[in-house]
Amino acid sequence: MTSRRSIGLLESDCTACLICVRECPSQCMEIERHSEQISEGRRPKTVHVLDAFSIDFALCMYCGLCIDVCPTDALQWSDQGGLAAHQREGLVSESADLVRRAHK
Amino acid sequence: MLIGTAPIAYRVATDPGIRILVSDLACCALEAGSATTQNLLEPENPGHDEPRITVVLISGTVTHLLAPAVEQQWSKVPDPKIAVAVGACASSGGPYWDATTVVNGITDLIPASGFIAGCPPRPDVIVDGVCSLVGSL
Repeated sequence: MTSRRSIGLLESDCTACLICVRECPSQCMEIERHSEQISEGRRPKTVHVLDAFSIDFALCMYCGLCIDVCPTDALQWSDQGGLAAHQREGLVSESADLVRRAHK
Repeated sequence: MLIGTAPIAYRVATDPGIRILVSDLACCALEAGSATTQNLLEPENPGHDEPRITVVLISGTVTHLLAPAVEQQWSKVPDPKIAVAVGACASSGGPYWDATTVVNGITDLIPASGFIAGCPPRPDVIVDGVCSLVGSL
């Protein structure tokens, strides 16, 4: 079993649906996204595109609800982490940190 | 360091120059005791030398009711010392950040020199975090 030291993100699997952000009890997650028109296929569609993802591990209660509700399994427990910082802001993980912690 | 009782002091097993005092406010405080069973920390005993530094681990939710006690504990610890917020509650208020009775992080009370993430952080994360924070001071 993967130990729950932090959370990793498979960026390519994230559809920026915001379900994790809305479910998070401590509201520690932030997603920036934009919409794009896709005209391939039978009818034009609008999809969300992820711009930035961040988790504030100073607020996160490690409940794993975001991981449970993620419809594409883009979020996962990671055994990398064990975060410590001299500033509170140092515990905020941006997209690049989250992607690095994900199991490929 | 239970409020009103004698403080429990630990030393880091790999670096006994680092003395650790735990401010037991909530569940995070149990992790320091857990670290002793994993031989990461050892209870302080008369055989130990004077500490190089004392690390006060603020472990748990700081309510406005307990805030003066935390400040008092901190003021009684001899220098050189640093305060480290252990876990989400002490760092930022954690899941209770929106509660009117909870202090949103100990920086409002005392000068914190370190923050360790977790809810609660694992014993090894606390000990590794303390060592890296002290090492990079």
